[in-house]
Amino acid sequence: MANENILIIGGGPTGLEAAKGIADLGYMAILVEKRERLGGTPDASGYAALTPDMRDAGEAMDEMRAAVENNPNIEIMLNTEVTGADGDTGNFKVKAMSNGSEVEIEAGAVIVATGFTHFDPGRETQKYGYYEHDDVLTLVDAEKMLKAGNFVRPSNGETPKRVAFIQCVGSRDRQIGNEYCSKVCCGISSKQAIEIREMVPDCKVFIFYIDMRMYGYWENEIYWPAQEKHKVNYIKGMATEIIKKGDKLIVKGEDTTMRRPMEVPMDMVILAVGMEPSAGTKQVADIFGIKKNQYNFIETIGGALNTVSTNVEGVFAAGACTGPSDLEDCISAAGSAVMKSIAAIRRLAVPA
Amino acid sequence: MIHLPVVKAADRKFEANPDNAPTEDLREELFQLEKEGELEVIRVPDNYIELPTKYGRMKKIPVEKTWHHKSCGQCGHIPGYSTSIFWLNRQFGLDYYDPTDQTSCTAWNYYASATSNPEAQAAVAIRNFAAAHEVGYFPLIHCGTSFGHYKEVRHALIHQHDLRRKVKKIMERLGKKLVIPEEIVHYSEWVLAMKDRIAERQEVDMSHITATVHPACHYHKLIEEDAIYDSEIYGAQRTAIVTGTLQALGINVGDYSTWFDCCGFGFRHILVSRDFSRSFSVQRKIEVMKEEVDPDIVVTHDTGCVTTLDQSQFAGRAHDKKVGLPVMSDSQVAALAMGAHPYKVLQLHWHNTDNKPFLRKLGLDIDKQWAEFQAEVDLIKAGKKEFMTWEDADK
Repeated sequence: MANENILIIGGGPTGLEAAKGIADLGYMAILVEKRERLGGTPDASGYAALTPDMRDAGEAMDEMRAAVENNPNIEIMLNTEVTGADGDTGNFKVKAMSNGSEVEIEAGAVIVATGFTHFDPGRETQKYGYYEHDDVLTLVDAEKMLKAGNFVRPSNGETPKRVAFIQCVGSRDRQIGNEYCSKVCCGISSKQAIEIREMVPDCKVFIFYIDMRMYGYWENEIYWPAQEKHKVNYIKGMATEIIKKGDKLIVKGEDTTMRRPMEVPMDMVILAVGMEPSAGTKQVADIFGIKKNQYNFIETIGGALNTVSTNVEGVFAAGACTGPSDLEDCISAAGSAVMKSIAAIRRLAVPA
Repeated sequence: MIHLPVVKAADRKFEANPDNAPTEDLREELFQLEKEGELEVIRVPDNYIELPTKYGRMKKIPVEKTWHHKSCGQCGHIPGYSTSIFWLNRQFGLDYYDPTDQTSCTAWNYYASATSNPEAQAAVAIRNFAAAHEVGYFPLIHCGTSFGHYKEVRHALIHQHDLRRKVKKIMERLGKKLVIPEEIVHYSEWVLAMKDRIAERQEVDMSHITATVHPACHYHKLIEEDAIYDSEIYGAQRTAIVTGTLQALGINVGDYSTWFDCCGFGFRHILVSRDFSRSFSVQRKIEVMKEEVDPDIVVTHDTGCVTTLDQSQFAGRAHDKKVGLPVMSDSQVAALAMGAHPYKVLQLHWHNTDNKPFLRKLGLDIDKQWAEFQAEVDLIKAGKKEFMTWEDADK
């Protein structure tokens, strides 16, 4: 008799959406999360607002959590980390450490939703000085400040007059080995630029970019309003180095439109760090024998028509563990994984 | 006190993790190719010290049995640079080899877009490696240009079967094997690895000295994952080379904003646009160091950097620029700290910018030391000896 429970590994937006979907279809979801709280990276990194609709991220995650908590069809296991796996479709036996004890979870199918981690600018080959200068931040840091409603220079607490974003930090970079576009950073930088302009109207905001990649409606929802309504300055050219002069930061690089080197003073610089597979993604892939691509994201095997099946039958992957994804991608992939995981179990239950 | 939901730079800790290295470990590739019979790997001799590289992989630095691959520019312009390296080896009683059959790596012209092709470049490198291997020693590269170039050659040979085949054929004609060292090691890595032993035998107090460091581009910008980093030095965000050595000697290392910039040498520029080199060196490096730190000395670890930073200052003097900083290599400073003679060993009379105030600040009686050196020169002039010996150097 095939086990009809579906194990979901990872309690971020993808895992939450998948758990809700499984429960809505009348199946039992077992949701394991290694942190002590559901919500994934938007929660752990303290996101302020979602891109592109500017919805309060905390409120959105509360809504997603509420949909799974106290749901009779969803068993939630927090502080739980998968340590081993055996079996196949209809009969997976997964070992985990749950609150310090070893447990075994039985499931018919598995959805991996272990997400991504933000690129660590300490590995950047350009000299951005994240570990040297207080006023050099990442998108994640800036998001926290925006959420707190207090956007000031960390070095002295003063309101900034000039803020620069540097795009593609850890993305589209052959030197680092991350040749891929992280998809969301252009949108998030532009969103944050708008928030800064609204919060500190006297502050000039610049975005240094290779190409601005505003997918779908983001073009009209974020990019043009940032320029036309909020007067954000977009400068085509990569910054190579950030140095400190007095109490200012100097951004050095090349303005490729003007065809000349540039050295511009700034009060704060925000590095648009890209996405990399989380440690959990690499770990879970190895435990289940799931194939990873050259960047260590999980490789799905169905091309454009099936974005969630992996090389291991009965194990599906969704969201940012399969590559850079925005929230819309994650939610859509969760639905697809739910449909395919239930179908895998039903195929065993219903004779051909 | 500012309360913000972000961590300040001083509390941000970069953790180097070999698993996150963006590049493969070339040493593993080398040993795999050796297994496949494609080449032979020259092992680091048993007596070695391990130092961490940019992404946390450990690099073996040989303490002895080193084959000293000298620098054309060092020997020609600042001979005390390499003499200091040898003097340090002798002080520790280490077994080293000073070859007379080493050739130029020819990389200066290569980087200046002036000559050669990949096969010739790689064959010259392998010929020198083979010369070291044949006498049972491990290559220690004095020159930053050669060091960076050899790393690029190693990278190319590992990844290009066709290049290996062509170089192997050239080596066969020379009666030599295709051999590649397990590590490509720069002398300044050896100095850093030896820093505690050097500091133990320090005779000259340097705790009142402030230095600025220029890290050589070809050391940390080419195959950068192979350069030495240390979490205690700039949070492992800049190479630990030179800075780590100076700190071990008690020297205060001052930070300046243009540390990442080239010294001005630029390979091509020093050959075809020398005025640009001089201006860059003075205005982007020396003047910035003076304005932001005002150090007693500039310390670096490559021939081109020492000569360019040192020998460009005369031009700045003519234009009333803020110049006048003595420039030395880390090997010279380390030798000086251990009591080496500033003229017989360090040969500072070859340097252009006045270094006497610095030497006097160290408490050295340089008038007496110059007279000692002059006496040796007089003996040579009088035909009473052909050259100075190591015994003369330590008299």
